[in-house]
Amino acid sequence: MTDVVMTLEMIQASQVGTKAIAAALAVGLTGFASAWAELTIGSAAVGATAENRDVFGMVLLLTVLPETIVIFGLVVALLLLF
Amino acid sequence: MAGISIGPATNYVYACTRMRIRRSRLIPREDYLRMLNMSLPEITRFIGETYYRSEIDELGTSFSGINLVEVALSWNLAKEYQKILDLMFGELKHFTASYLRRWDIQNVVTILRGKTQGMHPDKIREVLVPAGRLDKVILDRLLVEESPERVVEMLKGEQIYPVLEQELPGAIETGSFAHLENELYKGYYAWLIADAMEGVKGRKEFLRYIELEIDIRNIQNLFRLQAGRVHDDVRELMIPGGSFPVEELQKLSEFEDRDEFIDALKRQVKAVPLLNALEVIRGKGHLRGIEIALTLVQLDQMGRMTKRYPFSVLPVLAYLEEKKYEVANLRALARGKEANLPGERLRGYLVM
Repeated sequence: MTDVVMTLEMIQASQVGTKAIAAALAVGLTGFASAWAELTIGSAAVGATAENRDVFGMVLLLTVLPETIVIFGLVVALLLLF
Repeated sequence: MAGISIGPATNYVYACTRMRIRRSRLIPREDYLRMLNMSLPEITRFIGETYYRSEIDELGTSFSGINLVEVALSWNLAKEYQKILDLMFGELKHFTASYLRRWDIQNVVTILRGKTQGMHPDKIREVLVPAGRLDKVILDRLLVEESPERVVEMLKGEQIYPVLEQELPGAIETGSFAHLENELYKGYYAWLIADAMEGVKGRKEFLRYIELEIDIRNIQNLFRLQAGRVHDDVRELMIPGGSFPVEELQKLSEFEDRDEFIDALKRQVKAVPLLNALEVIRGKGHLRGIEIALTLVQLDQMGRMTKRYPFSVLPVLAYLEEKKYEVANLRALARGKEANLPGERLRGYLVM
């Protein structure tokens, strides 16, 4: 049985790969969470606007609030990569 | 069962939000108290400034006074219920449609009673609320039929037909539709339970509502029987399917003294709001006051269940029930003012 020897290049490549996976997970999972939150809030927002058109501006704001979750994910991903 | 969605619960969120907003628009208690000091024309004007405006304007040329209020309220209720049914889809629509079938029973029994007493179809039409499966067109077709037998014949294929066919001869013979009505409502609750058992999403919450409604109806009926000193076999008058077995209700009906009856009932009841209401009822003399206290418990319990299950069929049912009582309140106010009843007495008839 021969020992597996990792070269410095291999270790560096592995680190880059792990960072890329972590960044992808950070953006992907937060994107999924934002979508899920917006689905629920959006349904309620459409219902509320159907009953009272005056609340359109307010519910639009509430619907896009979960976008901040994916922005946090994006920031984390960028910090990981650069 | 057609039209059952298996997608995400967005339709629940959408419909429940709309119902919550509609509930918040219902006439508040303060407005009822203000209306108690108004005259009938003032009440009509007040109602005409709310969401009853289109019906009041539309019917203003054909009706006046108390008739205008009555017909406008019935039209608004029917229109509102049909609108709600239109904006629901999937299992929510299925449950709401099941719930609204009670109006079919009310309408059919009203038509049968009217036909037996030889009332003019237009007079009967004024008191119908076409909010169920039988719409205005079908009800109009029933109204032009000459005899109660023909009316029942026209309903062949409907869920209520077997009960009507079986009970109508007896009702005509005795001249009383009470037994027929009881059987129809018992059948209605049995259908509701069957619907809730079908394994559709949201059925548990629907079943909770049905149980609550049956329990409150049975307790109200027990109080009515108590007030009428009826201690015979009451099993036939009770609705099966609630949390109290019919045998238990029969035992409760045997108490002659009201305080003993309330004590025995309290031993069976677990819900705290109902226990508190029973204690309040102990001091009430009028049956109407007792019925209203129990109705308020039902609405309160429904409100609590709505908060516990915010995206279920319960917010829809809570709104439908509260809307029904709003119309009943306005009708009582208008009728009371027409009969010159004092405000204090009228207040006892309002569910608020």
